[in-house]
Amino acid sequence: MGITAKRVITKKPEVLAPAGTLEKLKTAIRYGADAVYIGGNAYGLRSRAGNFTYDEMREGVAFANKANAKVYVAANMVAHEGDVDGAGAFFRTLRDIGIRAVIVSDPALIEICATEAPGLPIHLSTQASATNYETLNFWQSEGLERVVLAREVGIAEIKEIRQKTDIEIEAFIHGAMCISYSGRCVLSNHMSERDANRGGCTQSCRWKYGLFDMEESGERHSLLGGDTLEEFSMSAVDMSMIRHIPDLVDSGIDSFKIEGRMKSIHYVSTVSNVYRRAIDAYCDDPDNYECKQEWEDELWKVAQRELATGFYYGTPTERGQLFGKPRKIQAYSFIGQILAYNEETQIATIQQRNHFGLGDEVEFYGPRFTHSHQTIDVLWNEHDEPIERAPNAMMIVKTKVTVPVKSFDMIRKKK
Amino acid sequence: MIELIATAESVEQGKSLLSVGIDTLYIGEDEFGLRLPSSFSREEIEEMTCFAHQQHKRICVAVNALMHNDRIEKIIPYLMFLQSIGVDAMTVGDPGVIHLLKKHCIDVPFIYDAQTMVTSARQVNFWAQRGAVGAVVARELPYAELASIAQQVIVPVEVLVYGATCIQQSKRSLVENYFSFTHQDGQQQPLFISEPKKDNTHYSIYEDCNGTHIFATNDVNLLPLLDKLVATGLTQWKLDGIFTKGQPFVDIASLFVEARRAFAEQRWTEEVREQLNNRLLALHPHERSVDEGFFLKEPNDVK
Repeated sequence: MGITAKRVITKKPEVLAPAGTLEKLKTAIRYGADAVYIGGNAYGLRSRAGNFTYDEMREGVAFANKANAKVYVAANMVAHEGDVDGAGAFFRTLRDIGIRAVIVSDPALIEICATEAPGLPIHLSTQASATNYETLNFWQSEGLERVVLAREVGIAEIKEIRQKTDIEIEAFIHGAMCISYSGRCVLSNHMSERDANRGGCTQSCRWKYGLFDMEESGERHSLLGGDTLEEFSMSAVDMSMIRHIPDLVDSGIDSFKIEGRMKSIHYVSTVSNVYRRAIDAYCDDPDNYECKQEWEDELWKVAQRELATGFYYGTPTERGQLFGKPRKIQAYSFIGQILAYNEETQIATIQQRNHFGLGDEVEFYGPRFTHSHQTIDVLWNEHDEPIERAPNAMMIVKTKVTVPVKSFDMIRKKK
Repeated sequence: MIELIATAESVEQGKSLLSVGIDTLYIGEDEFGLRLPSSFSREEIEEMTCFAHQQHKRICVAVNALMHNDRIEKIIPYLMFLQSIGVDAMTVGDPGVIHLLKKHCIDVPFIYDAQTMVTSARQVNFWAQRGAVGAVVARELPYAELASIAQQVIVPVEVLVYGATCIQQSKRSLVENYFSFTHQDGQQQPLFISEPKKDNTHYSIYEDCNGTHIFATNDVNLLPLLDKLVATGLTQWKLDGIFTKGQPFVDIASLFVEARRAFAEQRWTEEVREQLNNRLLALHPHERSVDEGFFLKEPNDVK
């Protein structure tokens, strides 16, 4: 009898997580991200996401380097006259800090980066709506290292793109979606005088609208209604591709991107943890891989909307939009992070992030997908005085745990 | 010299537009071009091109769609067709098309048109250095930015002087999805959406093979502001008739021809302006409204 070697996938895709702050950067990497993307103080699209100063970038890069992880900076605004002033110096500084690539959509910024900061790799942002292989070939001929595909591209299309190009491909696998082709939406500009392509998106697509036809006289006939009393909306449900990791890996995507620079460390740690686990499991033994229910359950703990597969398996129908009464999603609150653990006494030191107290059923989780549940039955403040509740943000408390935990494990509870 | 560019909904309307003095007709197939008043067959594109050339006028073809793999494949014979009939230019918004032109040595001059994304002189010049003979600037640019762009660009840029402004393109079937959810039959008539708490707004919305398109509540009309536009030095003026059909659109186009003549003869006055604008407002579809778009905003008005 011959011996059949176990198949292994050696070219693992990168898990790329959002990091709105230094703390989120560290958390994402601890929880399994191979790379993170952050924003600088200018040229980005998330004016409210908490952006990095150069010093914070230096600290982030040093942390990432130790973990063999990469830091990218999103500079994906669509610049108007005057907006690009200083961009050359900005890109040079990023390069010298050790940022591994910048994510850019505006050709003006691409040109500035390429000419004024040579050596800093450029990734085309999803804002540029790259939807076919010749577009990728174009950007490769311009010297770009990677293209982030438009969210409208499906699995079959990605496979064809992979066959016909050899530039790196990055694709979104989890998180919120624009209802439009990203970059091709200026609803906010027209409705709220906020520039969607310069970080001002007001999410007008998630509003409720009237829908009507109109005669030449201007007389309107509302078309709202039908079987349900539903207003017109264009709000997309969120994306999750956890059930389809084999398809994503086999399609040849190099980097799996998680959306959400505005999201909490609870979100970033949970989602990074799940996809790290799933991708490792598939690549280590693709022939015996199974998507585990516990991974999906875990993602629901940080979900804000329904989850679907975006455009990967065809253009979404009404089920890809938020119509009707939202299904109740069990919300969890993030109550704390472990700062230290004493094995002898089984006492964990906790930095509080949301109020909790005696009697609460809580869940501990950590990197590499460790989980434990227990009831809080004892609680001390930082002077070792017994307390019943931990009401103050960031206060330091201690409790006794039944299963060992580690620094930077997280604690959550059902809301 | 000011060039007047206008969409045409049919060969007949195209002929009328040329006869009133329009220089360049903007036409195309909707599989490759975005938001056209109607989709021309290849025979019609060829007929229109022959006719225009006999009149020493120009044809620009819309090839500005976002192409997925299937279209980037299908577009090659189309580009060769456009080259063979000698169209004067085409708009292109997908860099994949620019890559194809080079790869297949197809020689049709292209004007860069990535809609909302074209917002600075530096960006326009990026595409000019890669072969673009012009660019269409985004409609979200205030006068001061247009003036600044005009001074720095190395190719001419086109500005919308009349017509509707697309403010969102989705690949999803947003109208069909709504009707499916509410179990209503699809509606053929022109549809609009209104903003919450702003019932008087009326954003046009429709679906085609490129997805769902939503337009600004007011159509653009720069006729009363043409003296300011002339002062910027921007000389390529586009009229879009997607929602202004038939003879009224031709008549509106002729008003811009008259305006151009008035500038050339240095007799643009308050009175001429008011007279032309009143005629335009009478011709504009009554259920729609006009304003100057972003032209009079200050750059800092939009955050």
